[in-house]
Amino acid sequence: MDLNLNRMDYLQVGVTSQKTMKLLPASGNRATQKVVVGDHDGIVMCFGMKKGEAVTVFKTLPGQKIARLELGGVLNTPQEKIFIAAGSEIRGFTKRGKQFLSFETNLTESIKAMHISGSDLFLSASYIYNHYCDCKDQHYYLSGDKINDVICLPVERVLRDIPVLACQDRVLRVLQGSDVMYEIEVPGPPTVLALHNGNGGDSGEDLLFGTSDGKLGLIQITTSKPIHKWEIRNEKKRGGILCVDSFDIVGDGVKDLLVGRDDGMVEVYSFDNTNEPILRFDQTLSESVTSIQGGCVGKAGYDEIVVSTYSGWVTGLTTEPIHKESGPGEELKINPEIQNKISSLRSELEHLQYKVLQEREKYQQSSQSSKAKSAVPSFSINDKFTLNKDDASYSLILEVQTAIDNVLIQSDVPIDLLDMDKNSAVVSFSSCDSESNENFLLATYRCQANTTRLELKIRSIEGQYGTLQAYVTPRIQPKTCQVRQYLIKPLSLHQRTHFIDHDRPMNTLTLTGQFSFAELHSWVVFCLPEVPEKPPAGECVTFYFQNTFLDTQLESTYRKGEGVFKSDNISTISILKDVLSKEATKRKINLNISYEINEVSVRHTLKLIHPKLEYQLLLAKKVQLIDALKELQVHEGNTDFLIPEYRCILEEADHLQEEYKKQPAHLERLYGMITDLFIDKFKFKGTNVKTKVPLLLEILDSYDQNALIAFFDAA
Amino acid sequence: MLLPVFTLKLRHKISPRMVAVGRYDGTHPCLAAATQAGKVFIHNPHTRSQHFSASRVFQSPLESDVSLLNINQAVSCLTAGVLNPELGYDTLLVGTQTNLLAYDVYNNSDLFYREVADGANAIVLGTLGDISSPLAIIGGNCALQGFDHEGNDLFWTVTGDNVHSLALCDFDSDGKKELLVGSEDFDIRVFKEDEIVAEMTETEVITSLCPMYGSRFGYALSNGTVGVYDKTARYWRIKSKNHAMSIHAFDLNSDGVCELITGWSNGKVDARSDRTGEVIFKDNFSSAIAGVVEGDYRMDGHIQLICCSVDGEIRGYLPGTPEMRGNIMDTSVEQDLIRELSQKKQNLLLELRNYEDNAKAELSSPLSEADGHRGVIPANTKLHTALSVNLGSAAQAAHTELCISTSNDTIIRAVLIFAEGIFLGESHVVHPSIHNLSSSIRIPITPPKDVPVDLHLKTFVGYRSSTQFHVFELTRQLPRFSMYALTSPDSASEPPSYVNFIIAERAQRVVMWLNQNFLLPEDTNIQNAPFQVCFTSLRNGDQLFIKIKLSGEITINTDDIDLAGDIIQSMASFFGIEDLQVEADFPVYFEELRKVLVKVDEYHSVHQKLSADMADNSNLIRSLLVRAEDARLMRDMKTMKSRYMELYDLNKDLLNGYKIRCNNHTELLGSLKAVNQAIQRAGRLRVGKPKNQVISACRDAIRSNNINTLSESCGWGQLLRRRGENR
Repeated sequence: MDLNLNRMDYLQVGVTSQKTMKLLPASGNRATQKVVVGDHDGIVMCFGMKKGEAVTVFKTLPGQKIARLELGGVLNTPQEKIFIAAGSEIRGFTKRGKQFLSFETNLTESIKAMHISGSDLFLSASYIYNHYCDCKDQHYYLSGDKINDVICLPVERVLRDIPVLACQDRVLRVLQGSDVMYEIEVPGPPTVLALHNGNGGDSGEDLLFGTSDGKLGLIQITTSKPIHKWEIRNEKKRGGILCVDSFDIVGDGVKDLLVGRDDGMVEVYSFDNTNEPILRFDQTLSESVTSIQGGCVGKAGYDEIVVSTYSGWVTGLTTEPIHKESGPGEELKINPEIQNKISSLRSELEHLQYKVLQEREKYQQSSQSSKAKSAVPSFSINDKFTLNKDDASYSLILEVQTAIDNVLIQSDVPIDLLDMDKNSAVVSFSSCDSESNENFLLATYRCQANTTRLELKIRSIEGQYGTLQAYVTPRIQPKTCQVRQYLIKPLSLHQRTHFIDHDRPMNTLTLTGQFSFAELHSWVVFCLPEVPEKPPAGECVTFYFQNTFLDTQLESTYRKGEGVFKSDNISTISILKDVLSKEATKRKINLNISYEINEVSVRHTLKLIHPKLEYQLLLAKKVQLIDALKELQVHEGNTDFLIPEYRCILEEADHLQEEYKKQPAHLERLYGMITDLFIDKFKFKGTNVKTKVPLLLEILDSYDQNALIAFFDAA
Repeated sequence: MLLPVFTLKLRHKISPRMVAVGRYDGTHPCLAAATQAGKVFIHNPHTRSQHFSASRVFQSPLESDVSLLNINQAVSCLTAGVLNPELGYDTLLVGTQTNLLAYDVYNNSDLFYREVADGANAIVLGTLGDISSPLAIIGGNCALQGFDHEGNDLFWTVTGDNVHSLALCDFDSDGKKELLVGSEDFDIRVFKEDEIVAEMTETEVITSLCPMYGSRFGYALSNGTVGVYDKTARYWRIKSKNHAMSIHAFDLNSDGVCELITGWSNGKVDARSDRTGEVIFKDNFSSAIAGVVEGDYRMDGHIQLICCSVDGEIRGYLPGTPEMRGNIMDTSVEQDLIRELSQKKQNLLLELRNYEDNAKAELSSPLSEADGHRGVIPANTKLHTALSVNLGSAAQAAHTELCISTSNDTIIRAVLIFAEGIFLGESHVVHPSIHNLSSSIRIPITPPKDVPVDLHLKTFVGYRSSTQFHVFELTRQLPRFSMYALTSPDSASEPPSYVNFIIAERAQRVVMWLNQNFLLPEDTNIQNAPFQVCFTSLRNGDQLFIKIKLSGEITINTDDIDLAGDIIQSMASFFGIEDLQVEADFPVYFEELRKVLVKVDEYHSVHQKLSADMADNSNLIRSLLVRAEDARLMRDMKTMKSRYMELYDLNKDLLNGYKIRCNNHTELLGSLKAVNQAIQRAGRLRVGKPKNQVISACRDAIRSNNINTLSESCGWGQLLRRRGENR
């Protein structure tokens, strides 16, 4: 069955955060539900739809930015009490808008995530988790990395509190009281948690998670261990997941999975006989989908998916068909409801325009006086700068509540800016005078009208570190721009992991000296991505990393006065050594750096690179042949005379070309890394082999693994 | 929503821009397109089992309804249409870098096969001006040539640079077609037969042109711009990061007016309203679009829009029915309107809040450190800009300088300059390092061409620690001759080349023109006529003298013939001069030109000699091969070996000969281009009628291969006219 959903925009509020829109349960004999939504201005708004017109039930006064909005109530009754988290405060409203609760948690950080179950309140700030019962503090946990979401398995089904934290370090932490029961590693930084089917599935223990790199999964949280049920990999490279919900939109009696992503994608998955999810529907809205829920809002009898977006649009994707009743020769009838809406909007606009004109004049006048000040209007930017594991590149996503006029990208390190098919913005690279002004990249993106979201792809080089700046200018008056900074770290292509292979030959770098644990931690933060800025609890800490490009690994263990870094890649150690000694000199700290080089590791790294290099070389060769083979095919009419290898290339031509396009300059990057490895190997020996690099490149041009290893050994 | 009425997937690649629909047998429309390996395929879905067995055409082994035509050379342009009205069916025209083939598909015969030395980059078929028979007009290296169905060269003229696109359009609404020519020097020129009636300067190479209706036409540039002109005025344009591969005018929403259909390099096809550029329809292909054409491909009496992708996917669209009322997009209009209005409302609310916040900020204490961080600056901050000429130093070449400064202690974080044609991309960014921030910035600008440019400046102003900046937006115009600095006259260095003409204007008006087109220092005070000014080019230090006598006679001394042409054209448009006769002498340039002409002759003779050699060699090969095979049959292995060795050497010689021929050909093309450009330049020194006379005289001179007449006609337009009258 085909799922056809039509888009209906209901209204726009201020900028919204993740999970801040809910549908109130239908009450009495009315079939349509009311929508409640909280925005960054601190306004909670509840409205229903009446004849296509949004009718406000209540609207609170502005306040602090609302980070979460949840529904609650006495267990096993309709959950229709509204709870919001703003700053460090929790407020509760009845469905009529009466405030019945104001609870100041006294947390030092503002609340990021919230879950409500009966009179239990589960809160998390950046690193702190707190459990309150009837507003009394029950349990507390300090997480090692940022907490993105918190949820508790349904207490009425599993009969005890099992809270689960989604932490930035790719781990779900299952708690018991104030302690971790166990940790579950997930394939990406989890951003959202939800109960499967809204109630935890058959066992009440089924938990859905979504990650910031767009993966989805289902895990059963049993008392002893987690059971991974399924996982949807993000093959189509869609955005990160911000919200999920379970609702039977297809109408087959089984609840479907509704997913909202940060690139505006709304997806519906239904489940087959084996309970595996299948994509049934997708539609893209132009901006981040912050909340999603299935229900019925617009018209009784028609189910719909209600979503809220970053810039505050509440939109329904409804099963109600759009009727167009117009016979030939008849004027196209515009729905009177919509006509009303348009005319009221127009008059509102006129009024506003007049007011704005007045203010604008006043503003102009103020520029005459010498005492007056001119403030820049602030606007919020939703940005994300993440490393993609698949192609070892960074993606920078900028989203603004209004249309973007242009973005200036400036970098003081050499990086490559890659083209994205998704973007419609016109990019222009400007020449840079890198010496005097420390610019290695200056590029402008001039956006087409109505672009609110811009996605860029950036390729960094390990060892080259600095700052990337984005100056974002939206199309609002008075014209302003905001600058955002992103650090390109020395080991920028490394990613946190939780397990490494201890059998590999390792090179070791040891630091000793008069430095504190926090100081050393700050250096690690400086060098490596995905490390929490806060020094972790305890005296000694170990982090594992994986190089996303070469799959080599790094283990860092440190405590006060000593740090040990182990990697199977000499280049990694070499970069660390350079950066750390430079940083230490800058801060005038006396450091003792000693290293232990394992000759075998070089051969090991080359062997790791080998399959990648071979694959790329073969791919390049095959792609080169495609056109010629196709011509032969045209000329001869069939391919029977070709050797099977060539026939195979022809058959896979499209796939090969796609693969080749996906990884531009992959081969050059591999060559670069092999060259670095070569130089670094001999740098530790104290010899400079830069003169031999052309020779190495020659060997790479006619690649043979043994010849390469021999060259490394011989030189 | 408009859906394709048919979709085909051919297993042949289609070369971009080389697609045409024609009725080669008079009734059945067939699609012809250039494909790989120097072939043209003809897709004929209507009449099956029409097998050709000639050498040129053979049936495609991949598909039964496709025939292949061997051209054996990379196809550079292709079109189809009525060339011989008596035939009653369409002719296929295929151009390559050296030849033009007019092919009768039905009879499998050539109408004509002509060698074209200037190459054929673009082709258009139709009637031009008063020439009665349809012409196949090709554009090559600076030259335009029109052939009738017998291959007679009925039309020949030159243009400023390599031609990239051609179209026929009734530009001046006189009922006759004019020729639009888009060329590599970013100009769109309009030829009324061989007279240039208009010139529009664009910002990049013009890759496509198409007539819309009346005097309106669409254009596409290589930087991703598409737009619509009405006569010389641009209606609208849009720029995309993708490239427009093909444009076509088609009335897709049945409102009686053609829309501009664009096929893009990313596989998108969109239809834009001719008036506003608003998208009324779009669709996506999986690969780049190769061509957009129209034809009644289903033979049901309705013309379809046919879009082809480079991978051989073909989709046909019928225009929307009147019931759809132009609403052929997927989304509903009302929803869009509401969304747009709401967005507007939100923007206004935001702006209003900004002013409120501002008022609040004003009430608070005087400017503090924290304010600076948030980007609060004194309200009376003003931005000054000044353009000046910088003669450069040892470290930096001479350039035009733009100086931007704020009126107080605020700093300039960055400057974005959006301008077309003078930077590598469309913008130039100046972003000083955090240590070098100050309240003023000097930006060197070196426009590569003498064109007036609008500089759209966006300046980020704030404080050192700000994370938010004010954006000051303003536009400054860079005068046409900004790369010339006023210097004190030094008659010793006066260039010998000059142009001389008389205009009926007061000296003050000339001074006004000077002020508008040059960057003169502020204290320049020019006395009344007669006076003379001297400029130095910042590009190469050449001198430029402009002298004005009391009589209104103006003499311009410069060795740069292009510059002289630019100055004359600029003056002509400033003073509204329609016809201007000029006396010109560029001894150095003419000497060079003479050399080039001599070289052209040399190349021609070398070419002939090489061709003869090649013919000789091929005869030799034949005999050698026979002798070698004879030896093999007679089992005389030694002789056979030596014969084959000889053959091998001969083959090497042939290859070398081919290389020489290639080089010779490119040199020849370069020289021919220089000659064509010389004619264009000589024309640019005049305005109106004298200009056309010079060009036609030069053409005659070249035809008759008379070098002396050529240089004379370039210089003494006056004299030439007399000669022309005598003939």
